[in-house]
Amino acid sequence: MSTLERIKNVAAELLKIESSRVLETSRFVEDLGADSMQSIELVAAFEEEFDIEMDEDAALAVKTVGDAVGFIDKVLAEG
Amino acid sequence: MNIVETFIAKAQENPARIVYPEASDSRIIQAAVKVQAQGIAHPILIGNADEVHALASELKLSLEGIEIVDSKTDPSLETYSQAYADKRDLREAIAKKLVRKPLSFGGMMVNQGVADGMVAGVATATSIVIQTATLTVGFQEGLSTPSSFFIMILPQFQGEQDKIFLFADSAVNIQPSAQQLAEIAIASGTNAKALLGIDPKIAFLSFSTQGSAGHADADKVIEALSIARQINPAFEMDGELQLDAAIIPSVAAKKVKESTVAGQANVLIFPDLDAGNIGYKLVQYMAHAKAIGPILQGFAKPVNDMSRGASVDDLIAVSAITSVQARG
Repeated sequence: MSTLERIKNVAAELLKIESSRVLETSRFVEDLGADSMQSIELVAAFEEEFDIEMDEDAALAVKTVGDAVGFIDKVLAEG
Repeated sequence: MNIVETFIAKAQENPARIVYPEASDSRIIQAAVKVQAQGIAHPILIGNADEVHALASELKLSLEGIEIVDSKTDPSLETYSQAYADKRDLREAIAKKLVRKPLSFGGMMVNQGVADGMVAGVATATSIVIQTATLTVGFQEGLSTPSSFFIMILPQFQGEQDKIFLFADSAVNIQPSAQQLAEIAIASGTNAKALLGIDPKIAFLSFSTQGSAGHADADKVIEALSIARQINPAFEMDGELQLDAAIIPSVAAKKVKESTVAGQANVLIFPDLDAGNIGYKLVQYMAHAKAIGPILQGFAKPVNDMSRGASVDDLIAVSAITSVQARG
């Protein structure tokens, strides 16, 4: 499964929404309804899915699903 | 004795267990050693034990008697993760990834009663400290808003020396709703009593005094007072009041009828962060008041946020405050 698909599934699970609602262009807060607390949990959920650790400040600055793909692929590549 | 010395003396009477999740910062090690030595609190450091001891050695400090907990390997990680997963309806694997982070682990130690309070923020953004505390420690009963207050000490006020006021919220909530304003007042009243030992007289401030100016902003303050009275009818509260009607007896006598608060208020609730933040700085710089804060409030147990530039002395003072808040 691609990074994008995995991110969509994780976001849908954590935010308790249909995965079909999660698009590459979706903004976590404005479009998917993530509140500031869920944003912290999303970071942890991505870390769990990809078995990585992310810098929390930098990860929380990521606004869209597409940007999260780029961010996580970079962390994986630096692995 | 200045107020910080007073907090330290009070903390020493019954020191609380305070967790510090940022033990990789040398200021935390230095503060923890002093806090332990002076009996202000029982410090718990979160970090890798070898790394924390190495840092202490570099600083030529002994960590004897100070507990060190590694959030990534501690056996309690399982229990805390399970508790977090249940509380937030999350998969345990995700909860575990979150709780193994030092700040969340510290919050869960407080949540689970293993620590009485937490001091963090020297290496973490304030927003993350507040959000993590909200997720882990949770709120004081009846409240759902994290907020902050400043202790303002005026060298001279109406013939009184070192007069203490509590100002809220001057740092966290930008445009509080009536409900949030009410909660800020209740949390502030609680702290005025627990931390300062003063009998709170809470004024909900406005540009209007008891209906003198009809405006939606004043209506919000009136609604906040009504909600606050429902949350805690025992507190002495009044509003909406202009600042002079709140703190100057002669003005209150002219403008306000039948109030035990007007003219005598010592807890000032500002209608929004513009007023609260500008207000405390005006008093600090133009009236030469000492401002201590922001101190966080509203959580079920005390969590305090430090600025990234905090000194070891700042950490010791806030540790004493946290200890006193915890023992309330």
